[in-house]
Amino acid sequence: MLRSLVGAALVSVLVPVWWASPLTAQIDSIPGVTLGLLYEAEFQPALAVQPFSGRLGGETLAPRVEAIIARDLRYSDRFEIMDSLPASLVRDEIDYQLWDQLGAVWLVSGSLEGAGSGFVLVLELHDVVYGEIREQGRFPVPDAGDDDFRMAAHVAADAIIEWIYNEPGMAASRIVFSRRTDDGNQDLYVIDSDGENFKRITHYNDLTMSPTWSPDGTHIAYSSRKGASGLPRIYELNLETLVETPLDAGRDGDHNTPTYSPNGNDLAFSITGGARSGIFFYDWARSCCLTQLSGGRWDDISPTYSPDGRRIAFNSNRLGTPFPQIYVMPATGGAADLVSPYLHGREGYYTSPDWAPVGDHVAFHGRVGRRGLYNILVADVSDRGRRLRQLTWEGNNEDPSWAPDGRHLVFVGRRDWGTGLMVVDTATGTYRMLLRGIDVRLPDWSPPLR
Amino acid sequence: MRIKHLLMPAIAATLVLSACGGSAEPPAPPEPTGETQAEIDERNDSIAAARAAEEARLEAEAAAQRREDQRMSDEADEARSTLEAVVQFDYDEATITAASERLLRAKLPILRASPTIRLRLEGHADERGSTEYNLALGNRRAVAVQEFLAGFGISANVFTTTSFGEERPAVNRSDEAAWAQNRRVEFVITGGQIVTSEDN
Repeated sequence: MLRSLVGAALVSVLVPVWWASPLTAQIDSIPGVTLGLLYEAEFQPALAVQPFSGRLGGETLAPRVEAIIARDLRYSDRFEIMDSLPASLVRDEIDYQLWDQLGAVWLVSGSLEGAGSGFVLVLELHDVVYGEIREQGRFPVPDAGDDDFRMAAHVAADAIIEWIYNEPGMAASRIVFSRRTDDGNQDLYVIDSDGENFKRITHYNDLTMSPTWSPDGTHIAYSSRKGASGLPRIYELNLETLVETPLDAGRDGDHNTPTYSPNGNDLAFSITGGARSGIFFYDWARSCCLTQLSGGRWDDISPTYSPDGRRIAFNSNRLGTPFPQIYVMPATGGAADLVSPYLHGREGYYTSPDWAPVGDHVAFHGRVGRRGLYNILVADVSDRGRRLRQLTWEGNNEDPSWAPDGRHLVFVGRRDWGTGLMVVDTATGTYRMLLRGIDVRLPDWSPPLR
Repeated sequence: MRIKHLLMPAIAATLVLSACGGSAEPPAPPEPTGETQAEIDERNDSIAAARAAEEARLEAEAAAQRREDQRMSDEADEARSTLEAVVQFDYDEATITAASERLLRAKLPILRASPTIRLRLEGHADERGSTEYNLALGNRRAVAVQEFLAGFGISANVFTTTSFGEERPAVNRSDEAAWAQNRRVEFVITGGQIVTSEDN
């Protein structure tokens, strides 16, 4: 009697657990990903932004600068952003006691002052708990009509992140991507990190793909079929002069998926076409020294450098199955380590690696089996990919690229309610749709721009 | 002499009368000189018949030429469409299927007879794979076609290979039938001439 009661109790406990991980989830789940624990709890300090004041002509523009910075701080996913006080309640003196009672840990205040043809933003970060100014900075801000107006405010927002966390922010950055138009062609576009300033930067009306930022943010390299040969070749566009330079590697085959090495002088890219296929290195600063780093009869594509420039992660089908995997090799070529989860009989399809700007994390997308939708994964490659995190669990998710803060990723996301560029915070799992309603591909997030 | 003198005024009178118009008779038409009208007609008819015969012969020759041209052109068209016939692939695969093998073998006599022909093998993938990896997959399909034909002695110099990945679908839909048509290698003639095998 007692035994059967215990049995019933066990069943009632086990049933919900069984339902929580249905059979399909077990089949489709990616080996190596721990189910259940998705994100570690992170302390989010409360931060308030006091309405910015304006002086010497900066009065009308001050609220706009404040709004840009406040949204940047929200998008950083590092704070619990508090509702600001009405301007009428704000006095010249900071009332630390009031803010402390309201629960604020940090308080940002600012003043925009006219200076010459533009303005200067005097920004202060207050430690509410200690009741003191922690950091102070002066940031030049051009007039609102200037192309650099918003970027100047983003630079100030990133300074706040750096003051508090001693880590880079991502507000002063852009994302480049290719957009497929109705005629089937693709050209390159850029958008600011906050979804503003959507702008077309190439007008080739051909297939132009795989854009990538130079490490200093002044150039974009990409592959395009626009040339006389009609074959994909690598080009570099100077964003300031709009002068375009073709990379003449002097070699047959399709040239695709360029990426800069962190020193900015060299480029790695793929050449495909028979026995010539592989990842190649090219010294662009000296226009020489094409070197094959990997390859053979299989396909190696989509190289991405580690931040120290010593290693390259890339995509390869060298196992000889229809399941491409992610590998890491020395930047000079040589033996490659498999970093995507590989389990014989439950092979996954893993592609499109991007190495984080800080640390040993490589993001990519994948799925188990040959059908179904893709999810974004991050492998810790310091341990040969043994620590693996799955960041998305719904819709379709492809082509991740790291933000300069090494914390956020942009990717092409498809949900029931829309398709476009999505941003996910790898620390909290917070999502936002950055750009929606157009057919976008292969986003690449810039380094810090200032 | 007398007669001569008499005649002269008569002629003169006649001339005067003629000059005045009046009721004088017009001169009679000259008499036929031995050939009858029937004979003339017959001769003209013969000339026309000869001309017609010649025209018919020329026309027949031209028609024969046109038929020959048409035959040649049909053959060239057929050769061209055989050469350009698209081969398809299984999902995520770059191996030549039995159906593709038949299409490729049909191209062999034309390739052998046309040493100057140059082709671009354009590989394509369906939309389900990754954007960049599909560039590699499309290329692998083009290379698989080239290597299959090389196995029958067709020189690698005939071909260039390239891949459009998933970016240029043949059918702009998202279903199995469309995907099957989109996983393909297209044959684009970039130079040289098709020689039909009968001309050799």
